[in-house]
Amino acid sequence: MKSLFNYIKEVVYAFVSLAKGLLLTLRYFVTIRKVNITEEYPNNRTTTISVKERFYGEVVLPHDENNEHKCTACTLCQIACPNNSIQIISKQIETEDGKKKRVLDKWVYHLDSCTLCYQCIDACPQDAIEMKNSFELSVYDRTKLIYQLNRPGSKLKEKPTVKEQQS
Amino acid sequence: MISMIEFTDITAWIHSLLLSVMTPTWTYIVELALSGVTALVVLLVCVIIMVYMERKVAGFMQLRWGPNRVGPYGIFQVIADVIKLLLKESFSPNRADKVMFNIAPALALCVSLMALAPISWAPGLTMWDTNIGILFITAISSMGVIGILMAGWSSNNKYSLIGAMRSGAQIVSYELSAGLSIVTAVALAGTLSTTGIIQSQADGWWILKGQIPAIIAFLIYVIASTAECNRAPFDLAEAESELTAGYHTEYAGMQFGIFYLNEYINMAIVSIIASTLFLGGWMPFHLPFDYPVVHTFNYIMDFIPTWMWFFGKMFLIIFFMMWFRWTFPRLRIDQLLKLEWKYLLPISIVNLLFAAVIIVLHWHL
Amino acid sequence: MNASTVIFYVLGSLVLVFGAMTVFSRRIFRAAVYLLFSLISVAGIYLLWGMDFIAALQIIIYVGGIVVLIIFSIFLTQRSGEKLPPPIQKRLVWSGILAVSGLGLTSWIVYNYLFSASTLPIVEPTVHNIGEQMLSYSKYGYVFPFEVINILLLAALVGSIVIAMKKKETKTTDETTHITK
Repeated sequence: MKSLFNYIKEVVYAFVSLAKGLLLTLRYFVTIRKVNITEEYPNNRTTTISVKERFYGEVVLPHDENNEHKCTACTLCQIACPNNSIQIISKQIETEDGKKKRVLDKWVYHLDSCTLCYQCIDACPQDAIEMKNSFELSVYDRTKLIYQLNRPGSKLKEKPTVKEQQS
Repeated sequence: MISMIEFTDITAWIHSLLLSVMTPTWTYIVELALSGVTALVVLLVCVIIMVYMERKVAGFMQLRWGPNRVGPYGIFQVIADVIKLLLKESFSPNRADKVMFNIAPALALCVSLMALAPISWAPGLTMWDTNIGILFITAISSMGVIGILMAGWSSNNKYSLIGAMRSGAQIVSYELSAGLSIVTAVALAGTLSTTGIIQSQADGWWILKGQIPAIIAFLIYVIASTAECNRAPFDLAEAESELTAGYHTEYAGMQFGIFYLNEYINMAIVSIIASTLFLGGWMPFHLPFDYPVVHTFNYIMDFIPTWMWFFGKMFLIIFFMMWFRWTFPRLRIDQLLKLEWKYLLPISIVNLLFAAVIIVLHWHL
Repeated sequence: MNASTVIFYVLGSLVLVFGAMTVFSRRIFRAAVYLLFSLISVAGIYLLWGMDFIAALQIIIYVGGIVVLIIFSIFLTQRSGEKLPPPIQKRLVWSGILAVSGLGLTSWIVYNYLFSASTLPIVEPTVHNIGEQMLSYSKYGYVFPFEVINILLLAALVGSIVIAMKKKETKTTDETTHITK
């Protein structure tokens, strides 16, 4: 008798648990306009599209409003790069007080061979480069994937002197 | 009933029109062909709607939009798919049994279409109004497994063979509980003819009049027929994670398309039978009580045309089957057989006994 | 010659042709499928004679039950996809002679038996009438064969359960020996 009771209990419990699942999907079905998670990508590229900050899209060299970057052309990123995607071309210039100084000429970035491994950014002592979450990077020709990251006419951002820091 | 154009008027008009231009024999032949083609076209339109509906339902239940690129709301997606299937090459594997391989899809389709004959579409609109209608459909659906077995065997592929075996075991075992629930409804109605069963529900559907046994039989029939159609959660026959695509692994192009079509035709037929047996087919929703309010309600219900009731109920049950498919995970083969032999079959036998008691004591309304 | 005669001859020849192909085919799966077509044609003849109920039962029992069971057992046999070896000549001759003489005997009996038309009232094959006939214990009632078949089927069911039943003790010992190995 007890086994029969257990049998019936099992059947009823099975129906209850199935009904729970069914009600969940029915709720999704009815309220699809609110709960829908589809990104309608080409339609919403100018409006609601959102890519997470942590997405690795490409390496960028940020410039501030004075067209200054923080790269000192130390080539640590170039050494850290496992597949030679970075080429730092530097040049010698003379400063006002007559000293010779090595500055960045071209920061060449080969996106076609970059695996977005983040090692260059970890290696950079100046935090000059960072990863951006851009994703519309496809082009029709492979040669177009070679970028120069420093803008024309940009220069190294001068470090604030101790005096300036105190004030 | 309100005065409106009935389907019987249309058929009578066509009959007299044909008789005026040709001999009775030719009229008979033309009417046979005409009714067959009409039923086929109606069914194909239903299948197109069902494929679109399945994708939309699947999408909505998985928090997606479903197809929305081809045409407004993606309504032309199915047509694009059909064109793609038609343009693809159908080929048979080298070491397959070629004759069987090519016959199998056609046989499967023929068997499903044969079940259309005794279906009552509307008052007076039945292709073959026989007194064994439901029994004939049961017989035909027990033949449906042959096409699958042939396809699985002749492909000369172990996935196909295992899929066909599973499908066969599943269909043969779930036939029992589906049959017993059909018997429950037949015992309530007292006839095997589809028209007779629908007419017996003129004062209320069996799911309302037949007390608890009718409800249990309806649930068991829906579960068992989902299994007979090889649909999820009972789609072990084509479990893609284990068997690639089951019995139709080797099929391409329109031969695969026929199996696909066959699945949806089976679904449509199963839902038509469920609605005929338990939800009154084309019969409007009537309440079996004798109050003035109820009479008014029944009268208002008569204003909704019968074809709307028929297809409404059909698509309601199809929606249930889709709902199951996109909610439940797939069963293992031992769970599948356990469900049938340890739960559905004993419950439906006991249920049939209860139904017999209720019928003998006239407790049904 | 009207349409029903034509249909009868078509169905009859289908029965015979597929029956012969069942016997003569050397691929066992194809033989099963030919048997299926032969049985469906028999159901077609029943339909032609207006015996819808018998036709439906023919399809349910023979096509849906027996042929599916045969196909299942073919699936489970080894190397069933290959052609069977050709039969031995001596056996071929003997079995041919026996088959022909059996056919001769049967047809001789059929031709010499006077088939008289039944004088019993025709019973409409509705569910109600079939049920009454099945359980009627008056003259021409079927309650005795019905019950005999019931007992036979029950015995078969119980027997299959007994065969399929696992013995719990032996199973546990098997498992333990397996683990100790």
